[in-house]
Amino acid sequence: MSDNPVDTRDGSTIGAKKLLVRAAAADVRAFRALMIAVDDFFLPEDSRLDERTRSALAVLLRSMVETVEAEIREHGARLLGARGESVLAGKLGDEGHPVLARLSASGLLRDPELMAELIARVRQELLGNALPMQGAVDPETPSLINRFVQHPDRVVAAGAMAVLIAESRRRGGPDVGQLSQTELPAELHHRLVWWVAAALRERVAESEGGDVDALDKALSDAAQRSLSAYDEGDRLEATAMRFAAAIDAQPGELPNLLVESLGDRRIVLFTALLAHVLGVSYALARDVVVDPAGDRLWLALRALDLNRDTVAKVGYALCEADPRRDLENFADTLDAIAAIDAGEARVALAPMKLHPDYRAAVLALGRAGGGA
Amino acid sequence: MNAIDSTLPLAIGRIDSNGRLIEAGDRLAELNARAGGAVGAPLAVPQIATLARLAQRLGIGISRNVIAADGEDDLELWVRAEPQDGGVRLEVSGWRLRPLWRAVATEPERDGDFFRSAADWLWETDASLRITFLSIEAGARYGFDSSAMLGQPITRLFALEEDETGNLPILSAVAAQARFDGQKAELRGTGRTVRLDATPRTDPGGRFAGFVGAAHMLDLIEPLPDSGPKVDAPVPATPFGGFPDSFSQRLDRALRGPLGKIIANADSISAQTEGPLKPDYAEYAGDIANAGRHLLGLVDDLVDLQAIERDDFTTAGEPIDLADVARRAGGLLAVRAAQAEVRVDKPGAGETLPVTGEFRRALQVLVNLIGNAVRYSPPGAMVWIRLERDGDMGCVIVADQGKGIAIEDQARIFEKFGRVDPTEPGGSGLGLYIARRLARAMGGDLTVDSAPGMGARFIFTLPFRDPVRGSAFGA
Repeated sequence: MSDNPVDTRDGSTIGAKKLLVRAAAADVRAFRALMIAVDDFFLPEDSRLDERTRSALAVLLRSMVETVEAEIREHGARLLGARGESVLAGKLGDEGHPVLARLSASGLLRDPELMAELIARVRQELLGNALPMQGAVDPETPSLINRFVQHPDRVVAAGAMAVLIAESRRRGGPDVGQLSQTELPAELHHRLVWWVAAALRERVAESEGGDVDALDKALSDAAQRSLSAYDEGDRLEATAMRFAAAIDAQPGELPNLLVESLGDRRIVLFTALLAHVLGVSYALARDVVVDPAGDRLWLALRALDLNRDTVAKVGYALCEADPRRDLENFADTLDAIAAIDAGEARVALAPMKLHPDYRAAVLALGRAGGGA
Repeated sequence: MNAIDSTLPLAIGRIDSNGRLIEAGDRLAELNARAGGAVGAPLAVPQIATLARLAQRLGIGISRNVIAADGEDDLELWVRAEPQDGGVRLEVSGWRLRPLWRAVATEPERDGDFFRSAADWLWETDASLRITFLSIEAGARYGFDSSAMLGQPITRLFALEEDETGNLPILSAVAAQARFDGQKAELRGTGRTVRLDATPRTDPGGRFAGFVGAAHMLDLIEPLPDSGPKVDAPVPATPFGGFPDSFSQRLDRALRGPLGKIIANADSISAQTEGPLKPDYAEYAGDIANAGRHLLGLVDDLVDLQAIERDDFTTAGEPIDLADVARRAGGLLAVRAAQAEVRVDKPGAGETLPVTGEFRRALQVLVNLIGNAVRYSPPGAMVWIRLERDGDMGCVIVADQGKGIAIEDQARIFEKFGRVDPTEPGGSGLGLYIARRLARAMGGDLTVDSAPGMGARFIFTLPFRDPVRGSAFGA
């Protein structure tokens, strides 16, 4: 006979004192909640994340933390098990109390660089998915990147293949959830791995007196294993940059490559092509591409001496894909954009090509203020 | 279907630099006239006029899928506007009536979601049918090199099989730019068979831009880490309606979560937990929650159905007390019975009827029987649950005062999707079918006797267990 399924919690009663304390704290909590709501209300609408971006960001952040967590937890537990610490191993393997909640509450995830990377990646993905697809004029002609897979130059063909593989890996299979890897830049990946290891340590050490040394050793071994297995060169962005370098688009080829990559919804490839010819980092080019204001992008296109037709095609595709961009407005400014002298555009963009650290320092100093 | 049908007429139009219509093909001229325009005047269909102006200002050809009002109807059009000689040349095709309401998500997106939930892995091609995307882990799982297949023609990965009519569904689909399903193929070099489904992608000008597809493995062999020797795996009888074996899990995953959310949110709107609400809105939310529960019940039924139709389906032979199971089932339905103003007369606390069966499954059968009895009882009626021993079987009888079941319908109610009155709300038509399969799997049975106007009596039997002898085996 099966057991009585009736809930038999022994009605833990809360003492009067505790209740009073809680009631007193409620005032403070209510005030804090109000202040957060007030702050939220007065946020300027155009700098808030829209709901789609916000939820995509939440999904990405969650799956990243969970991917790292699973890797470290599983390997750590295996190490502990092999080292005769089966109780600790069991505790570590236990999936309760997700690390994400702890890291969010700690404020560590508010890391500007991490969030900048994640938000940019989410915006880039949303933009790419919304681009108007361009069908083939001639159905026999393969799409842009598939033509490069057939390229006689092995470096180019391999580069195209690598981009296809990386993109397939990034998009994942039907079982959504864990990623195959975080695909973060190496420094950010490092940061995240150690945070997750620390959060796991705290969780296990709190609930279990046990041997903290053994736990530390196992977690740090597992984290290091995860770090050494990680290669930021496998990132989709990195493979696209390598491919763009292999193509090394010449001025005559560039307009078609840019327009066609957008028509194939290969936003990463578009960004990499642009980054390569501009001689800037992928991350910077991505900022320029996803920025709905678009001014830096138009300047960049003019700096490359692209004609009105190409600027119009790129601008049209991006306006169609991004509800924050105003197509009418773009059409109004198109003539002015086309009239910009290429040399002047290059001068205006020169700060973008400074050494990234130097550029970051200049920007940081400007933000900090306190100057003359 | 979103793709342009090549048989649909293409109407050409020309607009001068001032936005005036110079000439228009028949259909375009008619549409424009019905909108109050004429040749020589500005184009009167606002969406097309906007597009023409944009093409002129940007100086590039642009295409868009446009919905234009035509009298009472909405027309779905593919419009391509190309700057030409200072004016704009228009190509308008499509010309199909659009359903009045459509979900916000675009069709390929929705199809993608569906594929994602039901497929073993996914693939996409460009217009030349070269692969542009593959679920990367599928290769390792099913014994092919996914990375080498990217960029290759789809026929490099799949050896396509003809269907009964001697056609390749995929090629017919390319020609018609339609979706296809049931394209059988062999994964080259692995001996494994797959079923391919896909929907076409269409660009804003209505041109074919490739397929978004799914692959379902037809052989039920567990995925091997390496391909091993080539085995010509026969295609086994598909377990349920042609769905792959893992269908129920995917169904579960795809539907249960979203439905749970819908129900929970609709319930909290209906309960007005977030603040007061107009009463009719709260009621709508209650309807939504109920419909959600109904769907969830259907999902449960389908998952059960798939489980019990498997050859290896077994139930546990636990010593259970049928009286206790019946009391619990009655208790679970007490709220619903009270709402329907039906009294359920449960077995008394002292009664026992030791039988052998699986507790969970026996409970499921009784909840179904008592639930039906409550549903078909008029207000103020009574549902009786009685226990009996009949030789080596223990019986529980659920009797109601409903309208009863005609003799000729009594076999039908146990059939899959067999419902006597399809207009009646509620129920998937699977409940009794599943209940009888479960009863028989446990060595018992489920039968009915009834006459119209006399109520129905369902008799659920399980093998009687001698409590003394049974205890020797222990639980």
